Amino acid sequence: MSVLSALARLEAVDAGRARPLATVRHCHLADAPLLMVPLRLAGEAAAPLAVLLGTDRADPALLVVPQPRNRDLRFAFAAELAKVVLEHVEASRGAAEPLGPGRDGEERVRYTGAPQILVPNGGGAAFLRLLGRSTRFRRTEGPHAVEAAVPALGRWLTWFAERRDRPGSSLLLALTDALRLHWATGQSALEDANLAALLGWIDPPAGLDGPAAAARAEDPLRCPPAGPATDPTFDNEVLAPAIAAWDASGGDPRAEARLRAALESQLVPTWDAAWHAVDLLRALPPGASVADRWERDRDAFTLFHAGFAEGVPQARRDSAVAAARRLHRLERAQEEYDARRAFDDPLVMAEYRLTGQAFAGTVAESDPTRLDESGKRPKLRPRVRIATPDPVRLEPGATVCSADRPALKGRIVESGAGDVLVELTGGLGRKLVPEPGAVPAEGDRVCFTSVVPGSFGPARFPESADTPWTHGGPPAEYVPTDSDAAEEWS
Amino acid sequence: MTENTADTAPDLDRLRAGAPPRNHDARTIAALTANPGCARRGVLDAAGVDKDAVARHLGFGTPFGQSQFALARGNAFEAQVKADGCAELLTLLRDRLGLAVAEVFYDDLAVEDGESREARHARTRRLLARALDSAEGTLFDHPMLRLDIAGHPAYLEPDVIAFQLGGRFHVVEIKSFAVVDGQAEPEQVAAAARQAAVYVLALRRLVAELGHDPARVAHEIFLVCPEDFSNRPSATPVDVRPQLAVLERQLARLTRVRDILADLPPDLSFALDEGLGDAVRAVGARYAPECVSGCEMAYFCRDEARACGATGVLGRGVRDDLGGVDTVGAALALARGTAEPPAELAETAALLRTAARLRREALGGAA
Amino acid sequence: MSPDLPPAGVEALRTAVRRAVAAGDRTDARRLRAELRAAERARDAAAPPPEHVPRVPLRERVHRVLALIGVPAAPKLVGAVHHAFLDGPGLSVPRPADLRRAEERAFRSAPDARPYYVCAALTADALTPARGLLALSTWPPETRMIGPRSARTDFLTAAVRVAEHAARLGPDRAERLLRRFAANIPGAAAGGVGTVDAAALAEAARAELAVHAAADARDRARAARRAAARLDAAGLLFGARPAPDRTHGVAR
Repeated sequence: MSVLSALARLEAVDAGRARPLATVRHCHLADAPLLMVPLRLAGEAAAPLAVLLGTDRADPALLVVPQPRNRDLRFAFAAELAKVVLEHVEASRGAAEPLGPGRDGEERVRYTGAPQILVPNGGGAAFLRLLGRSTRFRRTEGPHAVEAAVPALGRWLTWFAERRDRPGSSLLLALTDALRLHWATGQSALEDANLAALLGWIDPPAGLDGPAAAARAEDPLRCPPAGPATDPTFDNEVLAPAIAAWDASGGDPRAEARLRAALESQLVPTWDAAWHAVDLLRALPPGASVADRWERDRDAFTLFHAGFAEGVPQARRDSAVAAARRLHRLERAQEEYDARRAFDDPLVMAEYRLTGQAFAGTVAESDPTRLDESGKRPKLRPRVRIATPDPVRLEPGATVCSADRPALKGRIVESGAGDVLVELTGGLGRKLVPEPGAVPAEGDRVCFTSVVPGSFGPARFPESADTPWTHGGPPAEYVPTDSDAAEEWS
Repeated sequence: MTENTADTAPDLDRLRAGAPPRNHDARTIAALTANPGCARRGVLDAAGVDKDAVARHLGFGTPFGQSQFALARGNAFEAQVKADGCAELLTLLRDRLGLAVAEVFYDDLAVEDGESREARHARTRRLLARALDSAEGTLFDHPMLRLDIAGHPAYLEPDVIAFQLGGRFHVVEIKSFAVVDGQAEPEQVAAAARQAAVYVLALRRLVAELGHDPARVAHEIFLVCPEDFSNRPSATPVDVRPQLAVLERQLARLTRVRDILADLPPDLSFALDEGLGDAVRAVGARYAPECVSGCEMAYFCRDEARACGATGVLGRGVRDDLGGVDTVGAALALARGTAEPPAELAETAALLRTAARLRREALGGAA
Repeated sequence: MSPDLPPAGVEALRTAVRRAVAAGDRTDARRLRAELRAAERARDAAAPPPEHVPRVPLRERVHRVLALIGVPAAPKLVGAVHHAFLDGPGLSVPRPADLRRAEERAFRSAPDARPYYVCAALTADALTPARGLLALSTWPPETRMIGPRSARTDFLTAAVRVAEHAARLGPDRAERLLRRFAANIPGAAAGGVGTVDAAALAEAARAELAVHAAADARDRARAARRAAARLDAAGLLFGARPAPDRTHGVAR
């Protein structure tokens, strides 16, 4: 939360509609993302009940476990789900574009595409992670054998879930998160977790305002929950009798059709809402750095895909070194993500302007050819004085760069009420006269900030084999065990 | 604590307008600790008013309720762990804590249906007194405990087990949510810890009444949950000291509710009639979005808070960011510069005005 | 997607039921639920499910199981043993209190008219019926007393009996049951993964039993003497009457 986003919420209350928090889209949307709306049996960690999924909004597939307590039916479901997910992975990868040899001399490639999965909310993403955990250790031979696609599904879902931890990754997106990044509603974050209510504020149906649309979305009978939890009255009054009837009928197709119809009635409204969310996000122009971040996603995908055949399931827990390295990577990704978004989007940069780490204004004086001759050789050091109403909190000596052209670098010389003097140090060209247009001229609108994309230091961690004994010593390579395969998954 | 009871009890009975006080259990007692600053909740809870009925009467019933699948799963797991004299639990305690093989005492303190709660509580007292004196006994299942809530005794029928090890009692709480690779959902663990703290407190009060050191009830409880995706139980120790502290503070506060009562109309009552809405509104609430998960009055209070434009409906974070400005209208007036801020809000007002200007600039003057 | 959409009446009723439940209106919910079931039955109008008629009366089945394991047991164990050794599917045993109540009525109307009664085990301290346990009237009284160690000794005794029985019959159907016993008795899971050696299980159970047996027998004998002195014939079998609940669910 920040004052800026708090104010946006106030404006939303006042307007009876959501207000923008971004002027561009900060996440990638694939051309054909796989939308999945999963439901889980209440009281169970990861017992799937149903999922509505597909890349074509007009033609979703419905997968159902008619008796979620039956282990065989759950694995049959997992195998069907695996088929769809693995097909999606292969269909999305596109061609391998050559990148030239790497440092070790080996030819490197990157797929032109990567699979994207969308789920309605954070709960859906967490459910996929557990589903991945509960399937990736399954054995394909011996006792409790499952189809080969099942552990493959588990490894892919685990990979998607782990990538989601990385700030700025778009491989697995929860739509409520994506929407909340771009809009502020007049309700609380807790209420925003309801996809239909969130959409009600952003784009209410004709004749309703945000609050009325959100109120309607809170009625589970009009608007079934977006999962993975189901509405308790649905469970007790509809689902339980339908499952019992299916059990009693000995798997009669008519009973199964009824069960499917009941579950479909709970899923279709969310399916439609999710595509509505996709439409709203697509309508925003992508931010300048979105393609870069998707390229990192494609890198990660290419790497995982290439090693998949020889790989083993991801370990249950990270080793100490892997965990520290991972944390470091995530922190770094977060910093870079926040900074890059600010450069892409003036509304995000406004956050930094409000806290004094950035300022914008009009150039009042410009000395583009100023030379610093204090050293042995003269250096080009133009100075610009900027009139700004922003609450600047940058000390003299602080390095800054231009929000519009980050290559243009400088440092604060003095900063007083309504006025900042910046000495430019980089991005001017190689000569003692600046390239034309490099130095802002009098009357130009400029924005400078101390935020620098990618300012985080490099990681230095011991190799896995050198894990200090204080952190458990070198980890044993994880090998799935019999007990992994025998887990009952309920 | 008891001296307050005599003064407040008649007032509290009047507030219920003759209806019997509602029964508390560990869940509802644990819920008392949420939002301690809310006077409305404090008064309604202290008086034992049926908040669910009140909210429904006012047209704001909460769709609380549990799925039968969740109930069935919870009951089945508990039955499995406790079956045959807690055979699985014993195995777990032997493996995990090195419990000696001879320590197999199992006393089921619940007898048959139909026995009075006083009689069951008396039996719990008798057997625990013997255990405290002799340090003999291992597992005490279904202890019937008692806790005074604002002067009224509430009986707790815990499904928990009091487990004695080396002269100290530990509360063992069995929950059916999974612990996967050592991790469980934090909200579920927190809820379990809050409930277990209620049992720890009630057990400590009982131990003190029996003339022993209440510290013989450990603040560390054992949470028994299914491990990974199996039905195999696992035990996780949880330190409930923070939850205990909050609980004790809040229970003490309920008994001091007469301070709040003193400021209320003398004839106030929460009878389910046409005056109910005004009666409820006469006691100030402090609504926050989290109320929805724990208080039956939440939707009524939310509606009220929205109607008067309270910033609290947007969440505590937003309210804090607004530097304590209470209403949306006042905050927007400061942001738009249409209202002169009082001296203590000058800084907040300046920040809001800047924020408004920055949003306007970035959105091209559209905002 | 579904070829067999239920008629609108059923759907409307189902929504009405959920509405009533959500509004906390139990009376309406019950009425609407009955209407809904009627509407569903009318829709289905197919053959009713076949009535399941057990050949042997339930009490007789429970008797056979209890006689086999020789100690008081909970319905779940009774059902599992029945499934493992006796013909037919798993036994769904009603609540012990209900079954015992029927037996008690029979006993009181004509004492000792039957060769056996499925009766209660008694708590050693209060001589009230121990919750959730079934016992046989033909057992010596001390077998039916439940002291603090008895739950464990009875579990171990049941393990020995089941293991011995399985060793005689071949352990196929008892596999699951044996695994459960073995998992909770130290030293019993000597065999490889997935299989349990019945003899090793019995031996391990006897070894632990030796730790508790003497003290448990003492507690039980003492309780049995007290019971004989205090209770009448019916009380000996079905337990002292618990004090009734006077509070009716209202804390005072």
